[in-house]
Amino acid sequence: MTDLPLAGAGMDETVYSADSALRSPGTLVREMGADARAGALLAIPLLVNRLQARYRRSWLGYLWLVFPLLATTAIWVSLDARRIVGVGQTELPYPLYVLAGTVLWQLFVESLNAPLQQLEGARSVLLKSRVPHEAFLFSGALEVLFNFLVRLLVLVPLLVWYDPRWSASFLLAPVGVVSLLLLGTALGLLLAPVGLLYPDVQRGLGVVTGLLFFLTPVLYPPANGLLGSANPVTPLLVTARRWLAGGDVTAAPGFAPVLAAASLGVAVAWVGYRLARPHLIVRL
Amino acid sequence: MTAGRPVVSVSHLSKKLCRDLRRARWYGLRDIAREWLRPASTPPHSLRAGEFWALDDVSFDVAPGESLAVVGGNGAGKSTLLKVLYGLVKPDGGSVRTAGRVAALIELGTGFNPVLTGRENVFINAALHGMPRREAHAMAEEVEAFAGLGDAITAPLQFYSSGMQARLAYAVAAHLRPQVLLVDEVLAVGDLAFQRKCLTHMRQYVGAGGSLVFVSHNTYQVQAICSRGILLERGRVVFAGTAVDTLGVHLEAQQPAPAPADGAVIPPAGAGALPVVIEALSPGNPRGGELRAGEPLRLTLRYRAHERVKASWVFSIWTGDLLVCITGKQSPQAHVLEPGRGELRCEIPRLPLMAGWYLLRAIVIEADTNCVIATLGWDTPAAVLHVHEPPSLQRNQAMSASMLMSVDVNWEVV
Repeated sequence: MTDLPLAGAGMDETVYSADSALRSPGTLVREMGADARAGALLAIPLLVNRLQARYRRSWLGYLWLVFPLLATTAIWVSLDARRIVGVGQTELPYPLYVLAGTVLWQLFVESLNAPLQQLEGARSVLLKSRVPHEAFLFSGALEVLFNFLVRLLVLVPLLVWYDPRWSASFLLAPVGVVSLLLLGTALGLLLAPVGLLYPDVQRGLGVVTGLLFFLTPVLYPPANGLLGSANPVTPLLVTARRWLAGGDVTAAPGFAPVLAAASLGVAVAWVGYRLARPHLIVRL
Repeated sequence: MTAGRPVVSVSHLSKKLCRDLRRARWYGLRDIAREWLRPASTPPHSLRAGEFWALDDVSFDVAPGESLAVVGGNGAGKSTLLKVLYGLVKPDGGSVRTAGRVAALIELGTGFNPVLTGRENVFINAALHGMPRREAHAMAEEVEAFAGLGDAITAPLQFYSSGMQARLAYAVAAHLRPQVLLVDEVLAVGDLAFQRKCLTHMRQYVGAGGSLVFVSHNTYQVQAICSRGILLERGRVVFAGTAVDTLGVHLEAQQPAPAPADGAVIPPAGAGALPVVIEALSPGNPRGGELRAGEPLRLTLRYRAHERVKASWVFSIWTGDLLVCITGKQSPQAHVLEPGRGELRCEIPRLPLMAGWYLLRAIVIEADTNCVIATLGWDTPAAVLHVHEPPSLQRNQAMSASMLMSVDVNWEVV
C-alpha cells in the first residue's frame, strides 16, 4: 500500500464547532457549491431508480399521472356545459383552460411538497452519511419536471386540436413552468426543517393547498379582491398557462416580482436548510 | 508511523442530547432560530430540561499513522463521538479539526443509497469524494475484488444482507484512501474471513500513514490494530493510554464489584443463640501487598464461640454474582473452639483465579452432629476477594472471555 501524504502537506482542513455557519459565509457558500455539484451527480440516478421502483410494480404505471387530470377536466367541463356551475368567460376554450390549469397547478403543488417528501424518504441515508441533501432536493425537482412532461403529452394534443398554429409564447412557456417550480420549491424548502421535526406540517400542507386551489384560477377566471390579488401563485399560473397555450406573450400583473421573490426565496431557503441540517440530523 | 501535525484534533468537545422527544424537537427549532437570528452568539453551555451531555469536554489528538481505540460501555458516547468527527452532528462546545479526506463506517450503509446497486454506490461515493471518472473506474474494480460480492454487485443495496453491506462499505471506505478512517463496530456483522481481511487491511493502512479511529467491543481486534486508546464513560474521557491499558481499565470497571462486607452481622449472644458466630472471613497475601493471581492466598476466619465446640470449617469461592461456586474446601480435621474469640486459618499455595472480583462464603460444621452451626455469606453479606493482575494482552483477552481460572500448561513443539 503506498504511503498516504502527510497531514498538513497541502491537505484541506475541516473544522466543526458550535459556531453558526453564518460566521464564515465564504466557507458556507463554498460548501454549498461543492454539495450542489456533488448532488447534481446523484440526482438523475436517484430519480431513475425511484421511478423504476414506483412504477415497475404498478399495472397502470405512468397513467396514474394523468388520470386525475383527465377526470377533473371532464367533470368541470361537464358542470360548465350544463350550467350547473357558472364559470364565466375564460381566455382559452374551457377544456383547454381547465386541463392546462390543472397540469400547472399539479406542478406547483408537487414542487411544494417535493423537498419535505424527498428528505423524509431519505431519512435513514441522511442520518448515517454525508450524501449531500441537495441530491434529494434536485432529484425531487427533476421528478416534478418529469411528471409535468408526462402530463404535457396529454395536453399537447388538446392544444393542437384547438389551435395548431405556432406561437412565440411557446418559447416563453419554460420560463412560466420554472417560475411555478421555483415558487413551490422555495416555500417547500422553507417549511422543510419544521416539517422534518413535526409531521403536522406535511398534513397541514395538504389542507392549505386544498384551500389555495379554490383561491387560484385553475378552473375559473382570476377572482377580484384582496384574496385574489394576494395569492402569489395566480400571476405565475395565469402567465404560464397563457404562454403554454400559445396565447398572448405578455405576463400577468405581478409575474416579475413574484418570480424574483421566488428565486430569492429558493436561495434563502437553501441557506436556511443548511443551517438547520445539523440540528435536524441529531433529532430525527 | 510517520510524523506530522495531528490529522484529528479534538478540543474540549461537548455535545448535548435530549431524552424527551417533544422537548428535543422544540429545542431543535430554537437552535435553528438562534443560528439564523443570532449567528454571532455563543451557544449556551448549560443543560436545558431533559438534556444530558452525550460528550463532555472530550479532548484528544490522532497523529498520522496512528490508530486510536475508543472504548466504553453502551451509552458512553462512542458513536456520537464518531458522528461529530465525521461532520454529521454539530458540537455544542469545543471543536474538531480534521485534515484531509475522512471516510467513515459509522453504521451499515454509511454513504450508501439502498435504492442504488452496489456498483452505482461505489461510483457515487467516488464522485462524492471528488474522484475523477477514470480513477473511479479503477477504484470500482478494486472494490469489487476486495468485497468479493460477485454478481450481487449489480443488485440494489436494499437486497444485501448485513454482512454483504459490511463488505461493500468497508471496501469502498478503504479504497477511497482517506487520511482518516472512522470505524464503528461494523465488522461484527461480517464473516470471519472478511473480518480478518479487514483487520489485515487496517494494519497495512495504518502502517502506510493512515490514521484510524476504531470503536469495537472486540478486545482481540482492538488490541491487534490500535496503539492508543481512550475510555469514555457518560461522555467523558476517564482514561487515556495504550490500547492494552485502556481495555484493561474498561474490563475491570465492567466487572461488578460485589457489595463489600467488612464482617459478618453478629447476632447478640443470649438464649437461643448459636454456639459459634463467624465474625469475619479475611483474604490476604502472606507475602504482603495485593492479592495476585498465581500467588498464595491466606484465608483467616475469625469467630466467637459461646461454648466449647469441636468443629471443622469450610470455605468456598464464588463468582461475584454468587451464581457459580468456583471451588471450596473443608478442613480435614476438626478444631476445638474454646469460648471467646479465635481464628482459623488456611492457605492456598498458588491462587489459580484470574484477576477480578469474587465472593467468599464459609460455614462451621460441628464434628459430632455434622450440623452447620455458623455461616457467613448466606444470610449475611459474603466477604470480598479481589485478585489483581497487571494489564496485559493475555489478561484482557482472558477477562473478555470471562475466564475464571488459570492453569499451568506445558506447551509442546511438534
